[in-house]
Amino acid sequence: MHNINRKIQPTRHIPDKIKIIKANSCILPNGIQLFSVNAGTEDICRIDLDFHAGSRYQNKLLESRATMAMLSEGTQNLTSHQIAEKFDFYGSFYEHSSDRDFGKVSIFSLNKYLDQSLEILEQIIKTPTFPEKEMETFRIKGKQSLLVELEKVTTLARQEFFKGLFGATHPYGVSASPNDFMNLFRADLSDFHQKHLNSSQCTIVLAGKIGKHELNLIEKYFGKKGWGNATLDNIEFPQIAISEERKFYTPKEDALQSAIRIGRHVVNRKHPDYCGLIILNTILGGYFGSRLMKNIREDKGYTYGISSSILSLKELCIFVIGTEVGAEHTLPALKEIYHEIDRLRNELVSEEELDLVRNYLLGELLRTFDGPFAIADSITSLYEYNDLDYSFFDKTIEVIKTITPNQIMNLANTYLRNNDLIECVAGPISNQN
Amino acid sequence: MIEVEKFCLENGLRVVVHNDMSTPVVSFNLLYDVGSKDEDPNKTGFAHLFEHLMFGGSVNIPVFDTPLERTGGENNAFTNNDFTNYYITIPKENLETAFWLESDRMLSLAFSKKSLDVQRNVVVEEFNQRYLNQPYGDVWLLLRPLAYRVHPYQWPTIGKEPDHIRNATLADVKEFFFKHYAPNNAILSIAGPVTTKEIIELSSKWFGGIESRPIIKRKLPKEPTQTESRSLEVERDVPFDSIYKVYHMCNRKNDDFQATDLISDILSNGKSSRLYQKLVRESNLFSDINAYITGDIEDGLFVITGRIYKNVSFKTAESAINEELELIKSNSIKEYELEKVKNKFESNFKFGEANPLDKAMNLAFYELQGDAKDVNLEIEGYRKVTSDKVKEVATKIFRKENCSTLYYKAKNK
Repeated sequence: MHNINRKIQPTRHIPDKIKIIKANSCILPNGIQLFSVNAGTEDICRIDLDFHAGSRYQNKLLESRATMAMLSEGTQNLTSHQIAEKFDFYGSFYEHSSDRDFGKVSIFSLNKYLDQSLEILEQIIKTPTFPEKEMETFRIKGKQSLLVELEKVTTLARQEFFKGLFGATHPYGVSASPNDFMNLFRADLSDFHQKHLNSSQCTIVLAGKIGKHELNLIEKYFGKKGWGNATLDNIEFPQIAISEERKFYTPKEDALQSAIRIGRHVVNRKHPDYCGLIILNTILGGYFGSRLMKNIREDKGYTYGISSSILSLKELCIFVIGTEVGAEHTLPALKEIYHEIDRLRNELVSEEELDLVRNYLLGELLRTFDGPFAIADSITSLYEYNDLDYSFFDKTIEVIKTITPNQIMNLANTYLRNNDLIECVAGPISNQN
Repeated sequence: MIEVEKFCLENGLRVVVHNDMSTPVVSFNLLYDVGSKDEDPNKTGFAHLFEHLMFGGSVNIPVFDTPLERTGGENNAFTNNDFTNYYITIPKENLETAFWLESDRMLSLAFSKKSLDVQRNVVVEEFNQRYLNQPYGDVWLLLRPLAYRVHPYQWPTIGKEPDHIRNATLADVKEFFFKHYAPNNAILSIAGPVTTKEIIELSSKWFGGIESRPIIKRKLPKEPTQTESRSLEVERDVPFDSIYKVYHMCNRKNDDFQATDLISDILSNGKSSRLYQKLVRESNLFSDINAYITGDIEDGLFVITGRIYKNVSFKTAESAINEELELIKSNSIKEYELEKVKNKFESNFKFGEANPLDKAMNLAFYELQGDAKDVNLEIEGYRKVTSDKVKEVATKIFRKENCSTLYYKAKNK
């Protein structure tokens, strides 16, 4: 019989290094970089094709999003229906996405049908035709759903926030309006496709139970010769127009809640302060037990949820606090948010709270390697943002383990000065100051 | 293929271990063989309420969440008609904390009055928010008693009505705990970078000392065969008319199960499926349509749900569905289409096992049904289904007198 004391928690350990399966990296004959993660126990894999084809590169609003969405709606040899039928037959799942920096397509495939899945994917990527009938459906659906989105205070506050951070015409700051959908034509998409979805703009990530055979298939369809029109336009990142105005308000009379966004630009992931900022952010609003949650949800009951986060973009990061509060609580909630920021600047965080946050963050970090696709995502985030390598994770752990309450207070005084923060509120006017 | 090792402690706790070195995190899943089907018809919603109380402190540990957060762990739980499932993901180095926390609440709870008071309110709010104050939220509160007259599947996990939850007493809570929470009524499954040897040691150390408890073998009332079609019409403040048709079908152990599941895929899995192609894309009757099985341990339901376009009548919509069901009964399915849904199943199933936590949950669920190792036979079972079997099973299920229909009407149409 074991003699155990159930009142006492077993000894806790903090790992020094994360033991993880690393990705292999190679350059295919046509110059594409291929990352591969061989992990997991099932005969399945995921392929991501990642293009420098985000909205920052577009000439017209929505070009990037429309191009990515329309790739699978018809190719030289296959109709939209035939593509759906073939993917279904092989049990493959196809996904696409577009953000400010990247346009991406992914296939989830059984290894035994990888050849067939890639054959379809090749056509989608290399010979899409953007047929007019499907374009029209895209326009109408897109416009409808944006109209619905714009009814939400969250959307209004978010759009205003990015506009405030970058300026109304900057590619990171601009937002589409419903009618922009009607202004998109086949030629726009073809043009965008030609410029940005070619082998010179592409990185491939393959994850799952993979070996030589799977790698060869990737090379067969995407790695031999250069494909697409490899124009090497070096598009410069336009200067950010920082506005004098710090507070923005968007009226929405009938809303029950106000949406709040408060934040600023911060350094990118290569900067020595980045890891410390992650810890500062976690204490403030980065987990369920954070100060903002405790104060504004648990104690005051102004909201169902409030959080802060650090969003990575290619050129920089954005720190943002976000919440939706009952409209009548708008002003008190703002007051409490600034109060919590003040506390970070003026009081040292207790060792007890810091210990909890250190361990929470280490667990979170480990969970980003939980399974083959999670590992692949962590690789993607490293190379997408600032070409970091694995030592980034070791450095992060080091900072999590050793940062002091003083250093955290210093970071708060550098990065969380009220005058540097932009505040956006969308909601009923009666609750504005 | 999922490698599985199993052992059983003297007190009856079954333990399943799967080694996966591709992750630094261990998934720890503890399943109790008690669900809402085990409830007293006058005290429904109790299994789920009880799940909430499991986070209100145990006999030696006043707070569950904080010590777990301090080790970088994360946890959650869910309850369904058949069982209750608790899970933790935790860095390998701190795995013992998961054993410490879970074994203590299996040993005994704190049974705090305060926790019961708070959680009763939380669950009543959940009832309001998800089932009453939500468009289409009460569908299963209406459908279940329509389809089941005596079997306990006639109420959803949340319970029949909020009053059942409001009336729960501390005595009820204690009785429920000692009746159903016991090592000999639980399955522990672990997936991650672990060896069976270390799991044997940790399980014996933390769970070994908990004595087994007398568990009464469940005797569920058998649902009599339905002999005439049933229907119910309700009117609610929702944007669109919707139709729900449910047919009685077999349980997971039955030979017809795989074919039944594949029929639901033929009808509605993916953009190329029959109902989507014909009733959404071609004839524009529905904005959305779905067919699926409940997949319960006891005899379950085959469900078809459709959201109907504004200018289309219930009658037109329903006959379009019926026509598709007739087609499956009268025309043999072609090899190509059968192969397609089998491939789709295999892919869904394997991607459902990509993540270590999903594997741990699956293993516990298969062990509950008999043997965790059967998880590796599932795909083969589906591969064996023939087109004759599909036709035979469709004919058995899609009969008027086996069907209950809910017409969910939008107000002010």
